[in-house]
Amino acid sequence: MITHNKSIDLILVAVLALGCLPFPALAAAAKNPQTYTYLTISDADSLDPAYSYDTASHMIILNIYEPLFQFDKTSTEKLIPLIAALVPSRENGGISPDGRTYTIPIRKGIKFHDGSPLTPEDVKWSIQRFILIDRAAGPSSLLMEPLLGYASTRGDDAKILPTVWEDVNKAVSVQGDKLILRLPRPYAPLLTILASWAPVLSKEWAMKNGDWDGTMLTWQKYNNPNKETSPFFERAMGSGPFKLDRWDRKTKEFILTRNDQYWREPAKIKNIVIKGVNEFGTRKLMLQAGDADAIYADRPLLTQLQGIPGVKIIDDLPTVEMNPVVFFTYKINEVGNSFLGSGKLDGNGIPADFFSDKDLRKAFAYSFDYKGFISDVMRGKGTQATGAIPKSLPGHNPKGKIYSLNKKKAEEYFRKAWGGKLWEQGFKFTIAFNSGNLPRQTVCQILKRNIEGINPKFKIDVRAVEWPTFLDAYKASKLPIFVMGWNADYPDPHNFAFPLLHSKGDYPMTQRFKNPEFDRLIEEANAETAIAKRKVIYAKLQDLAYEEAPQLYIIDAVRYRTQREWVKGWYHNPIYPDSPYGGYFYSLSKE
Amino acid sequence: MLKFCLKRLAFLPFVMFGVTALLFACLQFLSPEMRASLYIKDPRQLSQLDAVIEKYGLRKPVYIQYGLWLKQVAHGELGYSETAKMPVALAVRAFFPATFELTLIAFIPIMVVGVYFGVLSAVYKDRFIDHVSRFVAITGYSLPSFVLGLLLLMVFYGKLHWFPPGRYALETDMLVHLDSFRHYTGLLTLDCLLNGEAEAFVDVAKHMVLPAATLLYISVALLLRITRSSMLEELSKDYVRTARAKGLPESVIIRKHALANALIPVVTLSSLLFIGLLGGVVITETVFDFPGIGRWGVQAAQQLDIPGVLGSTLLAAFLFVLANLASDLLYAIVDPRIRVGN
Amino acid sequence: MKKLSDVYTLLKRRPMSLLGFGLIGFFLTVALLAPVLAPPEAGSRDAYIIPQTGYSPDPVRPSKDHWFGTTEQQYDLYYGMVWGSRTAFSVALQVVGFSVIVGILLGGAAGYYGGWIDELLMRFTDVILAFPDIVLAVVIVAVRGPSLENVMVAVTAVSWPSYARLMRGDVLSVKERDFVAAARAIGASDARILFRHIVPNSIYPVLVVASLSMGRIVITAAALSFLGLGAPVGYADWGQLISLSRNWILGSSGNPFEYWHTVFIPGIAIFLFVLGWNLLGDAVRDILDPRQK
Repeated sequence: MITHNKSIDLILVAVLALGCLPFPALAAAAKNPQTYTYLTISDADSLDPAYSYDTASHMIILNIYEPLFQFDKTSTEKLIPLIAALVPSRENGGISPDGRTYTIPIRKGIKFHDGSPLTPEDVKWSIQRFILIDRAAGPSSLLMEPLLGYASTRGDDAKILPTVWEDVNKAVSVQGDKLILRLPRPYAPLLTILASWAPVLSKEWAMKNGDWDGTMLTWQKYNNPNKETSPFFERAMGSGPFKLDRWDRKTKEFILTRNDQYWREPAKIKNIVIKGVNEFGTRKLMLQAGDADAIYADRPLLTQLQGIPGVKIIDDLPTVEMNPVVFFTYKINEVGNSFLGSGKLDGNGIPADFFSDKDLRKAFAYSFDYKGFISDVMRGKGTQATGAIPKSLPGHNPKGKIYSLNKKKAEEYFRKAWGGKLWEQGFKFTIAFNSGNLPRQTVCQILKRNIEGINPKFKIDVRAVEWPTFLDAYKASKLPIFVMGWNADYPDPHNFAFPLLHSKGDYPMTQRFKNPEFDRLIEEANAETAIAKRKVIYAKLQDLAYEEAPQLYIIDAVRYRTQREWVKGWYHNPIYPDSPYGGYFYSLSKE
Repeated sequence: MLKFCLKRLAFLPFVMFGVTALLFACLQFLSPEMRASLYIKDPRQLSQLDAVIEKYGLRKPVYIQYGLWLKQVAHGELGYSETAKMPVALAVRAFFPATFELTLIAFIPIMVVGVYFGVLSAVYKDRFIDHVSRFVAITGYSLPSFVLGLLLLMVFYGKLHWFPPGRYALETDMLVHLDSFRHYTGLLTLDCLLNGEAEAFVDVAKHMVLPAATLLYISVALLLRITRSSMLEELSKDYVRTARAKGLPESVIIRKHALANALIPVVTLSSLLFIGLLGGVVITETVFDFPGIGRWGVQAAQQLDIPGVLGSTLLAAFLFVLANLASDLLYAIVDPRIRVGN
Repeated sequence: MKKLSDVYTLLKRRPMSLLGFGLIGFFLTVALLAPVLAPPEAGSRDAYIIPQTGYSPDPVRPSKDHWFGTTEQQYDLYYGMVWGSRTAFSVALQVVGFSVIVGILLGGAAGYYGGWIDELLMRFTDVILAFPDIVLAVVIVAVRGPSLENVMVAVTAVSWPSYARLMRGDVLSVKERDFVAAARAIGASDARILFRHIVPNSIYPVLVVASLSMGRIVITAAALSFLGLGAPVGYADWGQLISLSRNWILGSSGNPFEYWHTVFIPGIAIFLFVLGWNLLGDAVRDILDPRQK
């Protein structure tokens, strides 16, 4: 009797003990088939589409909210109608002949997550709100610029401009079931901007939760808000294929659940978990164990992810970015500047206008090892950039002139620079990069090594600085050379040409250079709507940029994605935020 | 006694004031642009730097900002932490219990193992057990915690799949956030038990094994050393020699007399050790992806999230004063000579 | 104080102490001979910057070209280890040195003079002790950039209070001893009493703790490097070298120990360095303890 009980006890204990230990995942069957887990490193800023500008937030927004149009699967040019019933064009009359009026019919039958219907009023309200919120360092200018013709609702004195309300209502209005947009002048990329930045939010829900009611009386209260005052900060009311279940900022986790009342076919996966895990080792182990389905991992870590059973690597995925880029500051700010050395052309420093000399810039251009960077740092993936416009966008010129490492030519230009004085005197200055960024650091090191090897009187110190210090020095134009990059806001060449080469663009303003010919070409290409003509203009622009060499473009980068083999249905669109790591979860399934 | 406590507690606001003043003094060296970097992370936002500075009043001189902050605190408002994406007070309430729980779970084994082997090493001085335990303790003391942490992860998670990183698995995550789950103590393990959720308890406990083990291995050396030297001192004292001469068995001598006295410094230092442990979890939390106050504090400091830094610093200062008070009290309780007089 | 011959006998009986001396001696020799053992590249302006052969991300196992292999980004580990021993001593000595000096001065003054000086100084040390040291280090580095100097400043700033407290305690107990009273009775000045009598007698615990802390400093520096706050990438510092191993500890999929050298080599150096100082500290304590023979 006793022995019998005892053996049962033992068996029970054994079973319980085994139950506590997780069995190693079988290779074929998907773990947690109803849940897709993605591990990232970035923290989202806010889920309010009118507030946040970062990719982490917008990736979540992409899945919860829906804009008027969407990019057709993998295309960055072709749009399909989403909340809109059709994509307006000149052919179907949706765009007026002068390019200044857009008539967009709104699809019927779409419901928000709480069951309430999505109306044209919601669309109008969402777009107006996007513009009127206009928080400092937010994305509002992306729609404000094309729709109103200016980039800020506030003047230099930080007071709201008097015509804003009138302008917004003239630009964005509703007629029946159609949205009418009236522009001050034609703006070719408008539809892609709407596709990337204008999701539709629920006005009713917003009003119920203390947000703007859409009227003239109250809008100014909501201008330039603090992040946490918006009900959309950590809650959502959209119409997308997924609902926001929770944003746990303690454990850095988003939990999305399937919208079973979605107006298209519901998504295949029930739960999406997006978790922030800073440590690469931990991310890798979780992927290996099947507790994660996809993780963020950049180029240097590729070899550690290859050959893991059950894990697939998809490489050669194009990007819409230009990064890293070497920028020369034409007129360096000398005040309290430790990067300049003696501040004179005496071999122990550089003068403030050091890089205003074109021969010097060309000498630097010939001193950088583009192929070596691509083969070593990028493991041979990616191609050399041919200009400011990346490969994935129209306007990219595959035959554009490029520099290459050429010590003889470099020496030739160094000897010419500064009327020949440079070669005799030599120079010394400091390049700074923001610490933690490996490609940028390597760019600085390559430049240092190669240039110092040309003439022992050439001395370059490479220094790591923290982001706050870097930003401070950058803003004040104290950095003789800085290495930065640019990510697309929307997939149009104007979004690269302007910030990089127009005198009012961010970078030329900091570099303190101005080229009226560049400006003219950029404005012409922006007003022109025929793609073929635009390509010609951009080709000319990039040729000129090659001669002038205000910046050194290095690579058209490609990224790779790491996912478990049981993940199906993923496709690449470089314009999706956080692609190819996060992205659009609607098409995914696990088998 | 009471007067003693009150006198010590009176220093609390002084210390906290001093610490925050010191912090603001350091901030003096940060330009408004540097402080604005908290809000500007993307190159596309760079043109808005000035607007951000205006919005958050970052051009005001530091002493004015300090004054404003003090006023705010006097009204019970600790500000908003960008890095935590929630008000500072909420962040502290969110992160501190996790760190406290982890430290507690590590602390008890540390005390037990440290004292046990410390005593053993002292009693069997220069013998095998002494050398071995001291050597093992020193290896822990000499290894950077993240190396140890990652190695443990590699073996016990990567190869064996026994103990995962993080706080809990997804099912437990959902469970703990249900309205029906009552948070009695703030210590998740205890709360799971009190709510009758055995599986969740096991899950949460599993996630703490590796970080606790890392802390244990790294910290036990100190306790072992203190115990050992204290015990050695006691054992060399006259009364022990007398007892030995009288023929009392060794174990009795150790247990009844020497041990109690030897443990005095251990007990009085224990609260400080605990605080030291609390302070030292930063890297362990990072490696194991543990949502605690160490990880948040460093992140806030790295990104110059001033309200966040102030919040976590205030907490640290508060705990420190408390620990000192506890230590002094323990000292007074344990050593009767101190109570009288002084 | 013991005679030299006593010291020698003492040490002979404790092989661990000899091991401690041996280890520290070994590292000291390497540090002093660094320019010979690992000559810097021609034309390099700073010998502490480790030479790189190429820029590819994957560490390379030890080979004929690189005796200890390379780290991530192709820094030569052998060079880094050799010059890193200089860095280790430099950092440890400077931080502990300054902390001890400041601690002795402030703690000694507090203990000796007592009264309001004592109160003021002790409350000040309270404030510093309450300050979370990592936060201070991070803020300093955020302002001034990652560098060893800033790390040393930050760590010194939070280390001296412990020594001050210790010194103060010792001074308080020594102050009451007979020979001090005697000196005072003869009419010796404060300074004379302080420096000739009190300090020499109360300094031993401070020295013991100091020698034990030497190793600890290296760990703290490694921790700060791990957080991105220590020496800049490419600087010959063991902590920095170990932090470069962070992404490679798991090895590759086929072989978990593919990159063992990036962890093990700096790891063993740190370990032996700390061990040496610990053993040395024990030996110092044994030498200075009048009860030990």
